[in-house]
Amino acid sequence: MAMRMVGMALGKNVAMVVVAGCSSVIQGIGPKNAYGYPVLNIAFAAGPAAASGMWRAFKQRNKDVTVVVWAGDGGTADIGFASLSGAAERNEDFIYLCVDNEAYMNSGGQRSGSTPHGAVTTTTPEGKKENKKELLFIMLDHNVPYVATASVGYPHDLMDKLKRAKEVNGFRYIQILTPDPYGWLFDPSKTAEVGKLAVQTCYWPLIEVVNGKVRISNESLHCLKKETRRPLKDFLSVQGRYKKLSERDYLELEKFVDDLWERIISMS
Amino acid sequence: MMKIISGNEAVALAVKLARVGVVGIYPITPQTTIIEELAEMKARGEISTDVVRVESEHSAMGVTLGAAVSGVRAFTATSSQGLLYMHEMVWWAAGSRAPIVMVVATRAVGAPWNIWNENTDFMSERDSGWIMAFASSPQEALDLTLQAFRISEDPRVFVPMMVGMDGFILSHTKTNVYIPSQEDVDAFIPPRRQPYVIDPETQESMGNIFQPVHYMKLRQSINDAIADSKDVIREVGREYEKVNPLADYKTLNVEYKLEDADYAVVTMGAWSLDAMEAVDRLRERGISVGLYRVRYVRPWAEDEILRALGDKKGVIVFDRATSLGRGGPLYLEVKASLNNPVKGVVAGLGGVSMNKKDFMEAISTSIEEMKRGSFREVTWYYPSEVKEVELGTPRSAI
Repeated sequence: MAMRMVGMALGKNVAMVVVAGCSSVIQGIGPKNAYGYPVLNIAFAAGPAAASGMWRAFKQRNKDVTVVVWAGDGGTADIGFASLSGAAERNEDFIYLCVDNEAYMNSGGQRSGSTPHGAVTTTTPEGKKENKKELLFIMLDHNVPYVATASVGYPHDLMDKLKRAKEVNGFRYIQILTPDPYGWLFDPSKTAEVGKLAVQTCYWPLIEVVNGKVRISNESLHCLKKETRRPLKDFLSVQGRYKKLSERDYLELEKFVDDLWERIISMS
Repeated sequence: MMKIISGNEAVALAVKLARVGVVGIYPITPQTTIIEELAEMKARGEISTDVVRVESEHSAMGVTLGAAVSGVRAFTATSSQGLLYMHEMVWWAAGSRAPIVMVVATRAVGAPWNIWNENTDFMSERDSGWIMAFASSPQEALDLTLQAFRISEDPRVFVPMMVGMDGFILSHTKTNVYIPSQEDVDAFIPPRRQPYVIDPETQESMGNIFQPVHYMKLRQSINDAIADSKDVIREVGREYEKVNPLADYKTLNVEYKLEDADYAVVTMGAWSLDAMEAVDRLRERGISVGLYRVRYVRPWAEDEILRALGDKKGVIVFDRATSLGRGGPLYLEVKASLNNPVKGVVAGLGGVSMNKKDFMEAISTSIEEMKRGSFREVTWYYPSEVKEVELGTPRSAI
């Protein structure tokens, strides 16, 4: 779904780097692919490096091509993080899309650095003990020209961000929350709804920081005040992965959301 | 033009002459001065190459591969731990059939830490799907690097190529090197050719999942391309004489006083010159011995090797590398090609120095052993100065 939006927002003059993950599989059997883009499939930890080589090659050939990296949260937060951080620090000229389904879903749903506290995965059967790695702030601390978050629950917001990112030069990072029915344990027909609930309960912020200027999407404005936030349990209770959540875990997650917004408010 | 330069400077000059588009660079001793020299050239405005200072060797090959598949000539260099850290991408580059050139200034692999020369890092990539040549002088490092661009970008090959050279012994030692003219190199290396280009215009894709049979066919295509590249390498070698009139690259490997010799010594890299001097001295003493220098590990020139060594009474292979538990990789390769007696000598690991006298001793004892008919298949040779050094056997700490 997110891949379709990328096509609609970025147009045709795109070359993609797809690191190992679900998207290496769903594009179909080689040598052709189902994306309608030229794709360089590559090992986990090499996406941002390969994209760095790619845009520079297009520049040498005087070609105006938007290079896009498509990676999961595992490829972003964990195994590919050094490469991502290096490319961001060098302000490489490409768009990095992190498709965040909060676990290693392609290998069957093991915990990742991006898995939230309390969530049951195949390697945390008793629920994850640690909090989700805060990629949004980590990438902001790289002082890159464009950082944004989006949710598949709000496709127009995502498309607007992709279009704006396309107009910016330098390193651009967009993290898209993509609820996974098989890992999060909810009915597949509810994917968009769960993506909306994440935003409405303020678990997932929709923000955009362009050259240091913070803009919060309308869908997330109510999160600025604690009183107007929808209760977090509305988002958690629809997912099977939180079935073992204790009261203490719940408070930990609530604190995570409070801290997240406190930090966003302090930035804006 | 002749110039007194180091092996690393010679390689940097070759990269400049080959008009490389993108280099991904990350420092590691003893390769570092190659990339520093490239960065200097860039700062002086001598090259239009995009020099990308990445954060690891894994990314150095990532950048190089990304640029190569997107249509430009690409280069990188590394050593030891760096090559091992990059290993995954070395294989990805081979599977991509992406013409890329890499120079490996060889160095021992830890643990323990050791920055000195040994070829095990280079030799450990021989299953990866690259063409692999090894230099014996700074001149050869320059020549082979230039030829590597031409060979890997030849449509009959389309396989990446790495050039090895002994760390410090070649990388940092200055000798007289013939620098070809830009005009001659331009005539020698045509504009970039590659099997496909990742580009919105072509819509080509690379690397997505293949069915088992297609995967196996692809692997076979790489195998065959490497095996069949011997004629291309000889053809390119002959043509290279127009670039460097002093050069001789008509064959993959090099023979020295072999024709009338009963016994043969096989070496690779810089110490071949010490071994050649040892051969001269031993011949003066009436020992019938010659030398065979392996320049190409992949492709493996079995035809040349059989012709040169097939009728010898004994062949002694010196390895500055190990396949631990099995001696040296060069020994294993030579042994697999010959039916006559082959003995392996592992020496010079981790920077242990081997001079002419050491070679004379190791060669003459090996020949005596082989004459007796019973010989140890693999010997670990220590020069007389270091023989006394005792190494403790690791014991259980518990």
